[in-house]
Amino acid sequence: MSGSEDFVEADNAEAIITRIEHKSRKIETLLKQYKPVEALKTALEGTQAMTGDERCKSAHWLVVHRAIMAIKDVDGVLSSLDPEYYDILMKYLYRGLATGDRPTCDQCLRLHEKLTERAGLGCILRFLTDTVNTV
Amino acid sequence: MGVMSVHQFAQCITCHAWSPDHSMVALCPNNNEAHIYRLVEDKWEKVHVLQKHDQVISGIDWSTGSNRIVTASHDRNSYVWNLEGSEWVPTLVILRLNRAALCVQWSPKENKFAVGSGAKTVCICYYEQENNWWVSKLIRKRHDSSVTSVSWHPNNILLATTSTDGKCRVFSTFIKGVDAKDSKKGTSDSKFGDSKFGELIVQLDLSSSWTFGVKWSPSGNTLAYVGHNSMIYFVDDVGPSPLAQNVVFRDLPLRDVLFVSERMVIGVGYDCNPMVFAADERGIWSFVKYLGERKAVSFGSKYGTQFSEAFGKFYSQSKQGVSNDAVESSRTRGFVHENCINCIMPHMEHSTLITRFSTSGLDGRIVIWDLEYEQDLLEL
Repeated sequence: MSGSEDFVEADNAEAIITRIEHKSRKIETLLKQYKPVEALKTALEGTQAMTGDERCKSAHWLVVHRAIMAIKDVDGVLSSLDPEYYDILMKYLYRGLATGDRPTCDQCLRLHEKLTERAGLGCILRFLTDTVNTV
Repeated sequence: MGVMSVHQFAQCITCHAWSPDHSMVALCPNNNEAHIYRLVEDKWEKVHVLQKHDQVISGIDWSTGSNRIVTASHDRNSYVWNLEGSEWVPTLVILRLNRAALCVQWSPKENKFAVGSGAKTVCICYYEQENNWWVSKLIRKRHDSSVTSVSWHPNNILLATTSTDGKCRVFSTFIKGVDAKDSKKGTSDSKFGDSKFGELIVQLDLSSSWTFGVKWSPSGNTLAYVGHNSMIYFVDDVGPSPLAQNVVFRDLPLRDVLFVSERMVIGVGYDCNPMVFAADERGIWSFVKYLGERKAVSFGSKYGTQFSEAFGKFYSQSKQGVSNDAVESSRTRGFVHENCINCIMPHMEHSTLITRFSTSGLDGRIVIWDLEYEQDLLEL
């Protein structure tokens, strides 16, 4: 019983990773066209439905990381980002801060400040309290 | 702004409740006593001190019909207080708990009351005539953590609870001999007619964190509760297939809620400022606005404003002797409440609409709000 579930889970994970690879290519194209907002949205989409699989999470993070690091005009990007993305972006910002990597942390902190101004402390609280859907 | 009166009763208030005619208020000043104040010529006078508990009182409720007060305390007991002559006489209710009692509410018919506790149980207490004794019946093994809030459905049978396990549950509390069979049939929701005591009607697992402050709408059709993740949940069609909505908001989490009408809810909490939520014609709930505005500091010059800000900060620090957290003090400064609001009670009702309500919190104030001043909200 548990064995077959594991199998389904693994199968599912393969499918997700294929999707992420596809997404990654799309993001590269968008970034080449100087569309950082579109790239960020694409990266964040579909990450709401998390799987517990660490490989999927890492793959997602790589894609989101790429989109986050490409942001130059923080205010501009956030002002055209729809509020429904705020909570999920906040989760990834904390993941970025947890890496300890200097450039990533710098960028995440810049975004974090501006995102908190827009989304409020409620957004941070939702990240802190959500122990089920982690990124 | 909709504030009618503000009064500082104590350093901190854990809970409060109004007398049936709203002339008196019972409150716990964060200790083992309950104080009753009466408004005499625009001044609040302390008229009674209810002294029987050993530890902090966490819940007070004052019944409207029978004029009885019930208190619940961290000392694991409850007392029912009856006014005999000019004295409030306590009757001990043995709840049979091994952890603190956290909240209490009279049922609509006032023949039962419910106590939520830190022992993962809910006590349903009722009066036994033969023994002249309040009996406590426990709903056990249903909660995985402390029960933070209880709320009675208008039908006197269903009870909603919130817990720090993140779930909101609805139970049947039908007690043979106390609740007549026909009272169940008479209610609109006959689908719960043959439910037994302690039967779990529905379990809502919407929040990923602690839940607080559950309330039924006046008709009992909608249930609202809050999560510690800055979200509020509205549930329609409570039963086998409930319809749930969640509303996220940008600031700190709420602690308690109150339905002022079927379609409007006031939420209070860590933001020190009541929030208004309303449902549109389609029944979609959303955040409308904050009720309190910052008190305008009427100084002409910029210099004056800066000076008063600095002075205000200095004053609040010297008084409370805490933190030099500039962000925090600038956040809370200027609101009617200066600390977390943890209790909201109705104060005056006009048929189906509650137009006045009171809030109390960790700053020791009770604020009475009047929605009559909020014309834009009454038109919603």
